[in-house]
Amino acid sequence: MINSILRFGLIFIMLILLQILLFNNIQFSGYVNPYVYIMFILLLPVEIPAWLLLLLSFMTGLIIDFFSGSPGMHTTATVLAGFVRPYVLRIISPRDGYEPGSDPSMLTYGFTWFFTYTSLIVLFHHTTLFYIEVFRFTDFFRTMLRVIISSVFSITFILLAEYYRRGK
Amino acid sequence: MRSLLNFLARYNNLIIFIILEGIAIYLLATGNSYHNTHIVNGFRGLTIGIEKRINNTRNYLNLREINENLAVENVALRNSIDRLVKRDNSLFVSVSDSIYQQQYTHTSAEVIDNSVNRQKNFFTINKGVRQGINIDMAVTSDNGVVGVIVGCSENFSVAMSLLNLDFKLSARIKSNGSFGSLSWNGRDFRNAILSEIPQHVILNVGDTIETTGYSAIFPEGVIVGTVKDFEKSGSDFYKITVSLKTDYKKLHFVDIIGNMKKTEQLKLENLFR
Repeated sequence: MINSILRFGLIFIMLILLQILLFNNIQFSGYVNPYVYIMFILLLPVEIPAWLLLLLSFMTGLIIDFFSGSPGMHTTATVLAGFVRPYVLRIISPRDGYEPGSDPSMLTYGFTWFFTYTSLIVLFHHTTLFYIEVFRFTDFFRTMLRVIISSVFSITFILLAEYYRRGK
Repeated sequence: MRSLLNFLARYNNLIIFIILEGIAIYLLATGNSYHNTHIVNGFRGLTIGIEKRINNTRNYLNLREINENLAVENVALRNSIDRLVKRDNSLFVSVSDSIYQQQYTHTSAEVIDNSVNRQKNFFTINKGVRQGINIDMAVTSDNGVVGVIVGCSENFSVAMSLLNLDFKLSARIKSNGSFGSLSWNGRDFRNAILSEIPQHVILNVGDTIETTGYSAIFPEGVIVGTVKDFEKSGSDFYKITVSLKTDYKKLHFVDIIGNMKKTEQLKLENLFR
């Protein structure tokens, strides 16, 4: 128990630092804004109680908001992502269900499963986030393009990170 | 009572979700609006220490470029001093009553946090109320428009960058004086859009665009950029793409301009409104 709190705490701090120090500073054409901190929400154990998941999402979003100077934006998107996560897990559950006490990792459930899982939640999170940021429907398709391009970068990063994490 | 408890137990996750999302949306609605000092006092205040440290590192890496810019600026300033001194000598003018003549105050500041990749970009500078910075002062860099101060704390200020969908600026074409409204369309940090210029106006690619000074924020004649491209849209107006003079990615030293006669002007204008 203590062990897993420490582990997730470490993952949390690392992802937040990566996001603030590295990914928030990518200023490449305005279309590429990967938000990789969402990986924290993805990695939490399958059986985590929904209220804890929501609270953790809220906290993550709030901290990112502190550092991006955008009160509420990331919080709204992340809480929403935390809310849909149990439903996504239910929809894409493997044939024999989830093993009790397992993490949603690439090692346990395979690449295809993890890819679907990541893509769904990242796309959901990014769509909410970018439309809240623009907050208007002019340039609807351009915002959609930003969502797609940024999601591709975020998903790629998360898959790579997960792939290397597996070696541990 | 029992059914209420049952209801709460059944939908507790939905209720928690709604509460948390409500808080988030409240923050979103109150924290992001234009002319809102919450940004500085609440959110930025907490993280300013870390931002400063990040900025220090970045400064160190950019030292060479900053030095070059400063050297260029020094040369320009020295030239203008020479010009002024000579003019004084030739005209034998010694009266310079600053109370009646000076309209704008200049303060230099350093940008400690900046972004160009969002739709609503803000940047933070290292001067605040104590150094005489106030809301609605203009921010320029090398005589090019950068933004407007929207919030101040004791020692820091947040400015809305021109690269913000909410930013509107009154600008005109230098060669013929016809003015329109300049705003950013959220696409490229190098370009902005000038609209409301009627189609009978003669335009050329490369024409200089400058501020009008109508708003009492920016002084007259601050350069915005040059015409990059223009097209006749369906209405009677041009849609002009302006290539911005300021490079927002390299923004480092800025000049804060305060208008000493702003209150007087606004008071008078409000009388006739």
